[in-house]
Amino acid sequence: MNFLSDTVVVIPAWNEEKTIKGIIHQIRATTTYDIIVVDDASTDHTAEEAMVAGAHVLPLAFNLGAWVATQTGIRYAVKKRYKYLITMDADGQHLPTAIPGLLKPLWDGAADVVIGSCVKRGSRARMLAWSFFRRLTGLDINDLTSGFKAYNLQALLLLATNQASLLEYQDIGVLLLLRRAKMRIMEVEVPMCPRESGSSKIFGSWIKVGQYMLLNIILSLSHATFFFPRSNNSAGEIE
Amino acid sequence: MKPLMPYQWTTAILGVLIAGAIFLLVRRDSLRSRYSVWWLLVAIVIVIVGFFPEIFNRIGLYLGVHYPPILIMTLSVGFVLVKILAMDLERSLQERKIRRLTQRLAILEGLLQERSPDEKHQPDDAINNA
Repeated sequence: MNFLSDTVVVIPAWNEEKTIKGIIHQIRATTTYDIIVVDDASTDHTAEEAMVAGAHVLPLAFNLGAWVATQTGIRYAVKKRYKYLITMDADGQHLPTAIPGLLKPLWDGAADVVIGSCVKRGSRARMLAWSFFRRLTGLDINDLTSGFKAYNLQALLLLATNQASLLEYQDIGVLLLLRRAKMRIMEVEVPMCPRESGSSKIFGSWIKVGQYMLLNIILSLSHATFFFPRSNNSAGEIE
Repeated sequence: MKPLMPYQWTTAILGVLIAGAIFLLVRRDSLRSRYSVWWLLVAIVIVIVGFFPEIFNRIGLYLGVHYPPILIMTLSVGFVLVKILAMDLERSLQERKIRRLTQRLAILEGLLQERSPDEKHQPDDAINNA
């Protein structure tokens, strides 16, 4: 591993043997950052493929979902004293060329968390769900479900805590936690590719969609801020 | 038809049986001592109510409940709900611990791999599945 780097890319992966290698090579070709793949107890050769491609692999003993896998990478990064962390999906949607754009607001001290957002990728149903959750949570963020994010150390220390370990998904719950801690969240428009293989792990079936919606509605309502004014900042910062 | 035995007997026998079962479980260390406090209290209440069911008649009258057995049912359901909620809280706490522990295990494996990088390209199924 490159111990001089203060930035690390974390990729939670579950059965992504077809795409993981290509993504690691792409990241290697565009950056010098360390790459950590958190293998969420894949039943295929994701871990081996990632190792061969040169990533550092953290193997979870059993499947715990994308968020807990991501948090594993966050805890590891905090332990190894990295200052910045980027999360990327393992399905090839996120382009490593967009990483510098995500990191810049962190370097400039303009934000604690930067979301790589691509509103265009959303289907009608997804747009409707985003708009619904935006209203419900008061979060002024266009792409609520993006897994392409960059965090500074302050945000990482918060997300590594016990408090974040019971979250089920990596999007709304995490954003609500960040907002409660008054972290500054910013959105940066990035291009995204269509998924290279497989279907969404979260939206794979209607039952999963229903479960996702229900859990996030409960979470959103329990963190509701109806009585607090929303930020009017056009950059989407949340003070 | 005249009943074969007074109804107190039935409730008393049931109470003693349930309390006995709880006591036996606690005695065998099948129940963690922390939980045994609750269950021993339950056992004591069951025995008392079993032997003296008229207590509830009096409490029922005092509280304006016309049919006292329903008071027992309502209170029981209430306590059961509280207990189930407490159990889910405990389960959530355990889930959190399991997740943190699993994460720590993965982190430690990662750190170990760093120290012995030669082994990382030879995943050994027997070791990994251990």
